[in-house]
Amino acid sequence: MSENQSASAQAQAPRRHRVEGPQKHIITFILSLVLTIIAFAAVASGISASFVYVILVLMAIVQVFVQLTFWMHLKDKGHLFPVISICAGVVLVMAMTVMALYWVWW
Amino acid sequence: MSAHQHVEGQLPHEPERATLEGRNKVLGFWIFLGAEVVLFGTLFSAFIALRHQVLDGPHPSHLFELPMIFAATMILLTSSLMSVFAVQAMHRNQIKALIGWLVLTVVLGLAFLGLEIFEFNTYVSEGHKMNTSAFSSSFYTLVGFHGAHVAFGVLWISLLIGQLYKKGLNVVTAPKIYVSMIYWHFIDVVWVFIFSVVYLMGKVG
Repeated sequence: MSENQSASAQAQAPRRHRVEGPQKHIITFILSLVLTIIAFAAVASGISASFVYVILVLMAIVQVFVQLTFWMHLKDKGHLFPVISICAGVVLVMAMTVMALYWVWW
Repeated sequence: MSAHQHVEGQLPHEPERATLEGRNKVLGFWIFLGAEVVLFGTLFSAFIALRHQVLDGPHPSHLFELPMIFAATMILLTSSLMSVFAVQAMHRNQIKALIGWLVLTVVLGLAFLGLEIFEFNTYVSEGHKMNTSAFSSSFYTLVGFHGAHVAFGVLWISLLIGQLYKKGLNVVTAPKIYVSMIYWHFIDVVWVFIFSVVYLMGKVG
């Protein structure tokens, strides 16, 4: 377990564990909801296709980032190796996607 | 094995990280998720490369119905929120609340699966089958793989609920709950890319 952070001030205080409230996760949920609605609305609105593509990719990346950091706890300490393994997967797959597209399209 | 006794038989603060076995389980699961990223990434790259090869099958912009996809997205997003509440209940050592949130997660997962089966059934009746075109094959492989992950998650979490009833919440069962909840979030993360890349981009053209 981790050490008490401000040890000098709270050395005498009884060790109470901070239990995080649900607010942060509800905010994550609402944020995901808003990002999803923006993506669907962009498609339903019928604006130019290339602009919609940019919005879709942007919304997806932001939403995945938010969910990875808060819901999957990647922002918490001690998550260096999980971050490395996910990043390794993403980098590998981006290289493969570029190769696949290069192979099929050009 | 983990004969890891704690003060007065109390559950430690983060029971999933209280033992080396638990910490290794969480780390190992993240490495597995890294491999899952690669699995889905290859399916996505195949789909993106082949999605315009519709032959004489229906075009995605006529096939997909946004209200149904939006409903499926909401169901999965809400179930992801339920599973985050499950982990919070676990950290508070409230086993009844934990089981309640897990049951809600499973129920929403089943609702999502039902909707997907209905959706695929509709597509097949409109002449969009596995062997219709390169687009349809890569579509069913990608979305079907995701659906299989949901089905596996539903089964897995249901078994864990049974184990919670039988063995209670302790440093052995807690890492299993935690890891299955990470898996459930990951399914939702993959779905974000599926509804963006497959459905919404397919609708745009």
